[in-house]
Amino acid sequence: MAERALPSRSVAPLALLAGALACLALALTAATLEAALPARLWWAALTSHGATVPALIFADVALPRVVVSWIVGAGLALAGVLLQQALRNPLADTTTLGISAGAYLALAAASLFAPALLAAGQEAVALAASLAVAAIVLAVARRGDLSPVALILAGLTLSLLCGSAAAVLTVLNHDYLSTLFVWQSGSLVQNGWGPTRRLAVALAFAGAAAAALSRPLMLLELAESQGRALGLRVGAARAAAVAVAAAIGAACVSAVGVVGFIGIVAPQIAQRLGARTLRQKLTWAPAFGALLLWIADQGVQHLAFLRTEIPVGSATALLGAPVLLLIVLQHKPRGVRNVRPATAPVRPRARHPRRAVVALCALFALSALVAMGLGRTMTGWGWLSADTAGLVLPWRAPRVIAAGSAGAMLAVAGLLLQRMTGNPMASPEVLGVSSGAALGIVILLFIVADFSQPLMIAAAAGGALAALLLIVGLNGRAGLAVDRLLLVGVALATGFSAFAAVLLTSGDPRSAILLAWLSGSTYRATLAGAVAAALFAVVVIAAAGATARWLAILPLGPATAAAIGVPARASRLVLLSAIAALTAAATMVVGPLSFIGLLGPHLVRLAGIERPLDQLMAAAAAGGALLVAADWLGRNLFFPWEVPAGLCAALIGGPVCLALLRGRPA
Amino acid sequence: MIAVHLDSPAVDAHQGQPMKPSFMSPSSRAPAPPFAGGPAADAASFELNGVTFAVGERLLLEPLTLALPARRMVGLIGHNGSGKSTLLKLLARQQPAASGAIRFEGRALKDWGDRPFARKVAYLPQQTPPASGLLVKELVALGRYPWHGALGRFGAADRAKVDEAMELTNVEPFADRLVDTLSGGERQRVWLAMLVAQDAEYLLLDEPISALDVAHQIEVLSLVHRLTQERGLGVVVVLHDVNMAARFCDEILALHSGRLVARGTPETIMTPEQLETVYGIAMGVMPHPETRQPISYVR
Repeated sequence: MAERALPSRSVAPLALLAGALACLALALTAATLEAALPARLWWAALTSHGATVPALIFADVALPRVVVSWIVGAGLALAGVLLQQALRNPLADTTTLGISAGAYLALAAASLFAPALLAAGQEAVALAASLAVAAIVLAVARRGDLSPVALILAGLTLSLLCGSAAAVLTVLNHDYLSTLFVWQSGSLVQNGWGPTRRLAVALAFAGAAAAALSRPLMLLELAESQGRALGLRVGAARAAAVAVAAAIGAACVSAVGVVGFIGIVAPQIAQRLGARTLRQKLTWAPAFGALLLWIADQGVQHLAFLRTEIPVGSATALLGAPVLLLIVLQHKPRGVRNVRPATAPVRPRARHPRRAVVALCALFALSALVAMGLGRTMTGWGWLSADTAGLVLPWRAPRVIAAGSAGAMLAVAGLLLQRMTGNPMASPEVLGVSSGAALGIVILLFIVADFSQPLMIAAAAGGALAALLLIVGLNGRAGLAVDRLLLVGVALATGFSAFAAVLLTSGDPRSAILLAWLSGSTYRATLAGAVAAALFAVVVIAAAGATARWLAILPLGPATAAAIGVPARASRLVLLSAIAALTAAATMVVGPLSFIGLLGPHLVRLAGIERPLDQLMAAAAAGGALLVAADWLGRNLFFPWEVPAGLCAALIGGPVCLALLRGRPA
Repeated sequence: MIAVHLDSPAVDAHQGQPMKPSFMSPSSRAPAPPFAGGPAADAASFELNGVTFAVGERLLLEPLTLALPARRMVGLIGHNGSGKSTLLKLLARQQPAASGAIRFEGRALKDWGDRPFARKVAYLPQQTPPASGLLVKELVALGRYPWHGALGRFGAADRAKVDEAMELTNVEPFADRLVDTLSGGERQRVWLAMLVAQDAEYLLLDEPISALDVAHQIEVLSLVHRLTQERGLGVVVVLHDVNMAARFCDEILALHSGRLVARGTPETIMTPEQLETVYGIAMGVMPHPETRQPISYVR
């Protein structure tokens, strides 16, 4: 980190590593190019145009691919440096802030609904979207004083939201699937020099802008108030830097798709090897970015043992996640942060909390009845009648039961996590516990190819528990109450999903089933499975009720809990097991993303219910009702098309989550 | 002891109720010596033998051997980073010592169970955590956890202890308010009420008055002082203000760079020479114009 890098250090290590990486990249590239066209014919292919097919491939496919990897790598690293400097956050990047996902969504939507826009200029579409996303993220995190956690959470939520929206687009437009995936995969495959030229021009402008901004940005190293005292217009400088970064991100996404983490990894390498000043970082980070993406892209071309080529975007995400984790673990927030802000919002408590609990339970029951009774059929909207019930109920009932119990379990898991960590933004989805469960199932399917329920739940529980233990273990003695917990969770979630993505793109036929399951459809629910999930939910939630006393004390933090005799290890173990079990069972039904685990507990608190036992019951009811509603909407809104319940819940939950973040004090 | 107890308002409130010995002060506890500043005759509660604490290679606490008495109010003073809070956290089992042994009532700290230890020793961290959504009476009731545990019944005895603690600390007027809506001084009293409800024999307080104005500082320390007198509690309190320590404590321990540099009654600590060793600047001492207690000032 910068604090440790001594001013006396020279740039020799930087140059050395860069040279070594360049040699490696050159060797890999020589091998790929040789495969395309024997080396002795290279010169001829370049000078005389298009004599043979191999010569064409060499000159217009293989070579531009190399150049594009340089430009995109350098550009993303530059964007990363700009964002990190402007937001004083080592984790800021076009992917972590959701800028890439926003650009991708806009491109996907435009290609479906307004193809003319793309013809006019896809960069403009992507740019508008990425600027909008950056503005939203900054607005949301503004309240949290742009703290790393507020920023990253807002970015993560937005990118999940954009991802879900894009997934809904693909679900509803199967015919255009391939065009949509072009941007998501982050592949550098080229067929001509056109995009390369456009990217080069864009990057040249961005580089000039970054150079012009470097002085004001240096002052941003100081606290905001000090920068202002030195006469800097902090807001304007920050906005300009973010806008330049967003423009780079947009250009890269529209040219090659989402390529993650270069913007985090390259500046880190530069910094660790001694690039201390902003000028040094602006020079060295793009150099390393170009080298890294070059190596990664040439590397994936050599992974012949996989049936299809991994998109380089997935590869960089997979490599980037551990780096992200490393940064989180070493990052110490600068300065002392207020533990208790003077103006902490205080929620009023319900005068009759029990009545609120009963009302929520009634709402749950009502939503289940409506979801079973009311629906769209070939003849339009209609309630069940006596003669249709026998025909329709066996189809609807399992889905409603499954959605209801999954929602209840997720909400309770979220509540347990929030109370255990004392952090209102913790939830199985945000912390990567759901992703862990999903990964468990993904691995199981690819190793055993067995869809039996007991095995799947064991694998999911194993994955969830592994994720939880990783989170707890990595946080170590720092305890669970700190914001770092959330950042570690985010890093884990990112790593898990990148890993799953690599498996999914391996071209295995099972990946289609997996994709449907990951998006959270209750379509495959059976009555037996749904009833089993419901029973499981009732048992585990009832058992969680026995920990009510701990749940009351733990939000006060580890020091207080230990001081009044709560057994630290035992309480943690019991609660973590319960959370893992609940998350695993729920993930089986609705997939890893839904935000229900975050929303359920918040709804309960908004209703003024505060006592642990009341909260437990109310959260179960609220979560169940939410997911039943999401499932019902997904089944009926675009009838006869279906939007999976998990996606639907994420689309509803994402904006609410952003609103909650905005209301959250630092 | 009993006579003092009956005089306190806390017991008046419950005179009509049958009182089991279990929620009176335990009868095994010897009567407290009348507060006169005389040396305590009874055995030490905490005994430290060669205790150190280190973070990485930095030694925060040099090998420390000392005994802390029961039923006395002991002040811990020293400059920033002198190891005051570290020592308190070691006593409270919030951190394990790097080496050496700490015993409480003759038993090594690590041999105590979580709840049995919490019944004996209560700890107030330097920065009390936000108590989001908790009412005052609910927070105070959490202090009964060491007695009833995770699943035990919250009985009449517990209820009585909570009421008594709230009355003793004067937090009854806001029993039904949210903790987070209180002012700093009120909040600090609520946390003290939780410690009182915990019914421990020993209180470890880490800078309980650092965020309070002078009126509330006096109020909180008077309350703690009264507790040592009326209930025979032992107290170790970290204080930044040496004058406050001299005014309320029976004994003062001074730390400097992780070493114990002075220990004694306020009168023996409050000399220009001693204070200079502790704080590293020239200080003077003069008698309070009214009470004649020693007051220090910076030269």
